[in-house]
Amino acid sequence: MTIDIPFIWTAFKEIIKSLPITLILTLVPLAIGFLIGLTVALVRIYKTRFLYQAANGYVSFFRGTPIIMHIMVIYYGIPLLIDQVSSKFDLNIQTNKIPIILFVLIALSLAAGAYLSEIIRSGIISVSTGQLEAAYSVGMTKYQAMFRIVLPQALALSIPNFTNLFVGFLHTSSIAFLVSEKELTGAANIVASTNLKFLEAFIAAGIVYWGLTIMVEGISFLLEKKVTSYSRGGVS
Amino acid sequence: MINLKGIKKSFNKSEVLKGINLKIEKGEVVTILGPSGSGKTTLLRCLNFLEKPDGGMVQIGNIKVDTEKATKKEMLTIRKQSAMVFQHYNLFAHKTVLQNVMEGLIVAKRVKKKDARYRSELVLEKVGLKDKLHHYPSQLSGGQQQRVGIARALALNPEVILFDEPTSALDPELVGEVLSVIKTIAKEGITMVVVTHEMSFAREVSDRVLFMDGGVIVEEGTPLEIFHAPKEERTRRFLQRISGDSFFPPLKERVN
Repeated sequence: MTIDIPFIWTAFKEIIKSLPITLILTLVPLAIGFLIGLTVALVRIYKTRFLYQAANGYVSFFRGTPIIMHIMVIYYGIPLLIDQVSSKFDLNIQTNKIPIILFVLIALSLAAGAYLSEIIRSGIISVSTGQLEAAYSVGMTKYQAMFRIVLPQALALSIPNFTNLFVGFLHTSSIAFLVSEKELTGAANIVASTNLKFLEAFIAAGIVYWGLTIMVEGISFLLEKKVTSYSRGGVS
Repeated sequence: MINLKGIKKSFNKSEVLKGINLKIEKGEVVTILGPSGSGKTTLLRCLNFLEKPDGGMVQIGNIKVDTEKATKKEMLTIRKQSAMVFQHYNLFAHKTVLQNVMEGLIVAKRVKKKDARYRSELVLEKVGLKDKLHHYPSQLSGGQQQRVGIARALALNPEVILFDEPTSALDPELVGEVLSVIKTIAKEGITMVVVTHEMSFAREVSDRVLFMDGGVIVEEGTPLEIFHAPKEERTRRFLQRISGDSFFPPLKERVN
């Protein structure tokens, strides 16, 4: 077996066409997950009645089971559920018309929410309680102190962790190809099997992923530098 | 003006405040002295409900709260009567000096941004930081940070300013600049309650000195009475321990 170097470029051009799907599968879950994570983190910090236990259970379950399982359960489970409900109430919903990407997005969002809630929670805890007390002492409410004083710093401090998760989810999105969603890995698989050049196709896919990751790291570095500029002392 | 009746507070069954009664008049400067663990900081924090007392009544200005039945709203109202200066400054790290001072005015007092800015610049000038308006706390020295803390409290124009060991975390050479700012505002007739270990400051500035030990006010009086003629044995021992020089008998006695 030999390696066909020029074919890597051919495969690259073919695979990169699936980049938008991979980006959607990364960005949408992280955006939705951020909202879920923020809510869950606040519920767990304030120990809100009833919701607290639910939030703990949610985080425990979604961090305690592999993401591939979430995708499978939701991909096979939700249509079943909808079919049952729709036949009971004569709703006439055709589950096979629901785009597959929707199931993947739901599964990834729920998983991202669980991971992000822990990142945000640790960020909140790391802001000194003294600042919270100072906020109360000038007459702010709990809500004002959280959203004006604690959260901005908590989120800025969490940027390295966010980047970590972003990169992780960029790569996790490749699981979607198991339910025949044609993202980067899926595309690489197709190119590979139609041309019978597996090594070249997956090297090309690897280059795309790595390139993306380097870009994300760069953006994160600049962003972190900008938003945490307040904490870099030095008397000027 | 400030009236405390039977303030009690326990942490994990150990009673820190055993029913404190205290009246403070408008414009009075009261310092609280006492060994560590005597409950002086807790008393201060009970005044603005950073610690919720277990029992008793707190009154600041016209607001009166029964601590056992205190609602969140009542706690917030009474908190707005006071402002606090903390031992570790506790400035908002992500906001500039000016924003730190404006924050309470805009968010809690709902002052218009322009007015808040004007007022904040005024108090910052008073504490000698007019040239640092757009610095972040991390770019300031400890003394400068604490002066921002004082400006933040002062800007709110509260009924009373609570000082919780304002110079304890400072390098010795920075203590002076902070104390002189506190002295200046004390002279302006602002009501102040100061927990401190700076004896000379207490002697010079306060109208009344309280000595606390074991969760009760052991003795109170004018600085002259407390420092030069303490009635209680516990006060005497504490003052002796604090001023190291009194371990040594005066020079004359040693010569003889």
